[in-house]
Amino acid sequence: MRAQALDAFQVIADPSRRQMMVMLSKDSMTINSLAQNFDMSRPAVSKHIKIMYNAGFISITDIGRERYCTLKEDGFNELQGFINYFDKFWERKLKKLETILNNKAKLK
Amino acid sequence: MTKTIKHTFYFNQAPQEVWDYLTKPELMEQWMMPSDFKPIVGHHFRFTNPNNTFVVCEVLEVKPFTNLAYVWKNDWTKTKTPYTSKVSWTLTPVDTGTELVLVHSGFELLRDLVSHSGGWAFLSTKLRDLLNGPKK
Repeated sequence: MRAQALDAFQVIADPSRRQMMVMLSKDSMTINSLAQNFDMSRPAVSKHIKIMYNAGFISITDIGRERYCTLKEDGFNELQGFINYFDKFWERKLKKLETILNNKAKLK
Repeated sequence: MTKTIKHTFYFNQAPQEVWDYLTKPELMEQWMMPSDFKPIVGHHFRFTNPNNTFVVCEVLEVKPFTNLAYVWKNDWTKTKTPYTSKVSWTLTPVDTGTELVLVHSGFELLRDLVSHSGGWAFLSTKLRDLLNGPKK
């Protein structure tokens, strides 16, 4: 089944995919054992897995006849840009507060 | 990946005085941004960025001179990349001054939720756990 390429935001927007990622955050799982936890057809589960795979949220390894899914960090990296931005933002702001309070102390 | 921002600063002023700079809009504006903040849990307020966009907030916690937390998100009606997060401040008296700890955490990007209203309660706590690291 073809899975369209979705970006990180669209990937995490779906509750089933979020739940799959939560399960995978504990341990790697085979597609079959993941599928057992969801009330949907096997092709539907495969489609979600492909979407997560395409967006870099999971990797898939074939071991014997089973396909194992493992959570991967790449998909979450889009968040990193925001986090880096705010890290600098707060550092700048807090230094400004420091200057204000230091000057205030000197005036006393 | 880093999921949480943390900064610790020390000031010579007592927590009461530092608290004012976190909770009085006329003082907050001097180092942050203009806002209509009120130290009341549940109060919705906005910071105005220099480019006239807003940071949309809701007060989550107010413990005078000790603890302050609010939701920090961008204006979901005006952006293609909505995010939500939490800003919390902790003040601890040290010697004659104050240790101020800022934690900015719980980042989530929610492009598909723009059409939903009242998004904060809607968020999956499971995803929040996931982004904040697995529970052990």
